[in-house]
Amino acid sequence: MHLFAEHFKREKSRIYTLDARVKLIFTLVLLAMVLSYNGFFFLLFILVASAAICLRLRLPLKVFLLRFCEPLFIAGILILLKFFFSGETSIFTLNFAGFKIIGYSEGLYEGLRIACRILAAVSIVAILGFTTLFTELIAALSWLKAPKGFIEILMFAYRYIFVLSDEAQVIYNAQKNRLGYSNVRRGLSSFGILSGSLVLKAFEHNQNLTVAMIQRGYDGNIPVLKHKPFKAHEIILSAATIALFAFIWKI
Amino acid sequence: MKRIKLLKFVFCFCLISTFDFLFSRAARAMHISEGILPFNWALLWFLIAVPFVAYGLYRLKKISNSDISFKPLVGLMAAVVFIISCMPIPVPTAGTCSHPCGTGISGILLGPAISILITAVALLIQALFLAHGGLSTWGADIVSMGVVGSFAGFLTFKALRLLKINLAVSAFFAGLFADWATYLATSVELTAGIKGSAPFLPLFWKIIVAFIPTQLPLGILEGAMTSGMIMLLYKKRPDLLIKMKVLKVTKAVVVFLSIFFISCFSLANAAEWPGVDETVVEKYAEEHGRAARAPLINTDQGDLLLFVFLLAGAIGGFVGGYYWRKLTEQKPK
Repeated sequence: MHLFAEHFKREKSRIYTLDARVKLIFTLVLLAMVLSYNGFFFLLFILVASAAICLRLRLPLKVFLLRFCEPLFIAGILILLKFFFSGETSIFTLNFAGFKIIGYSEGLYEGLRIACRILAAVSIVAILGFTTLFTELIAALSWLKAPKGFIEILMFAYRYIFVLSDEAQVIYNAQKNRLGYSNVRRGLSSFGILSGSLVLKAFEHNQNLTVAMIQRGYDGNIPVLKHKPFKAHEIILSAATIALFAFIWKI
Repeated sequence: MKRIKLLKFVFCFCLISTFDFLFSRAARAMHISEGILPFNWALLWFLIAVPFVAYGLYRLKKISNSDISFKPLVGLMAAVVFIISCMPIPVPTAGTCSHPCGTGISGILLGPAISILITAVALLIQALFLAHGGLSTWGADIVSMGVVGSFAGFLTFKALRLLKINLAVSAFFAGLFADWATYLATSVELTAGIKGSAPFLPLFWKIIVAFIPTQLPLGILEGAMTSGMIMLLYKKRPDLLIKMKVLKVTKAVVVFLSIFFISCFSLANAAEWPGVDETVVEKYAEEHGRAARAPLINTDQGDLLLFVFLLAGAIGGFVGGYYWRKLTEQKPK
């Protein structure tokens, strides 16, 4: 499961070493700008800038496709939906076997704008995900005063996603080899057993994990990564970039 | 004439197939994608989600004070929900794959409050590392999947157990309604977010119709899956179901269900019942020559009322967000 930045080969780029807190705040500010923008220019600018950064990161093509195929598809559907169902000024009317298909200019404009917004927003968050380690992100969330209970649950979940997904894969392969998914009914039953087994495994792991953690001094709180002090040049650079983006946003 | 009818049939079939193909793939996305909602809607759903997540954290703190193994268990269940909602399962009628929510089962096993927290964690990881959902739509996704899905699953299960319906059937309907309720809520959020200046209802029905080919069978599949999971737990580890009070219907749940159903009934008949202001206050005021004057600030202008609600929500959310660490964290001993 190559989802997390830990699994990618890290090229020599400054963006990887940038403080996770700075990256997170920068991402949130840019997201707010993207969502509240009503035109095209800023969104296209963000898209081009993100594409340039993504190319610079030299990540595997498969990772890119996995990350962007779903938003791209949704963006395409929204363009169609708005184009054919929303607006008043028709661009073309097609009569086919008694049906009228009308394409509206307002709908096309709105659809393209929403599609650009989706792709710009996804690319901003994708860069954060590609370049930040999960532990750094958790520490940044903790610095931003995210509740401690939430952080702890996030850490436990992250730790066990890989363990449980490996176990799910083993059970799935065993079921498949025994024709567990040969028809819909058997497939459904197999999937129910697979999900139930995962829950059972989670309970078993929980008992072992708690005992192991108590033996190592767990008292209900987990310490998180401590951040180094902010670097002045990182903050100045980020503030300048945000100011530049804000200027373009305002145009 | 016959040829035209045949052509119409072929055209309709092609149109529905295309629409179904497109939306069934879209439905595979399950959550609302990053960037779909404009800023004001994204903020509004986030503010609605905040108190529910805060209540989940409060419950977590309360339970983990007496049971140290509870936090790791919730983390593990979050990993299970993450994995279940990443697993594609075939939807026979749509000829495609989709995936279940998993919030029905977490709602039944750990209660809706903890289930909301679990969903929030799973959604955050998916948003950051899978482009599945998004940071900007995190609040909207928590409301549809976490709040609506968990409560629908939990309340359905408890109501059916209260009526002495057997465990498998209760779990089936809990999974079914959790899934369908999630999609109903997602449709509302999606319509509100993309409608622009268009009216709400026509687009809402289009989105609902587009979801039906995948979500109708998927809900049934999720119901069967939830039922299978509960029965497996019942056969292999009934002690866990007893420990988590799954088999027990508490007084609090009965009271909550009664209030819920009475509220639903009242809302359905609300149009027939005039308010106290209208029947008592206004009547006597008019009798004594003190008819209501025009308001100083008329909030029925444009979106002023909505804006005021949003402003109040933003202020309340900020204050709540700023102080919620005090609510959810243990005091140093």
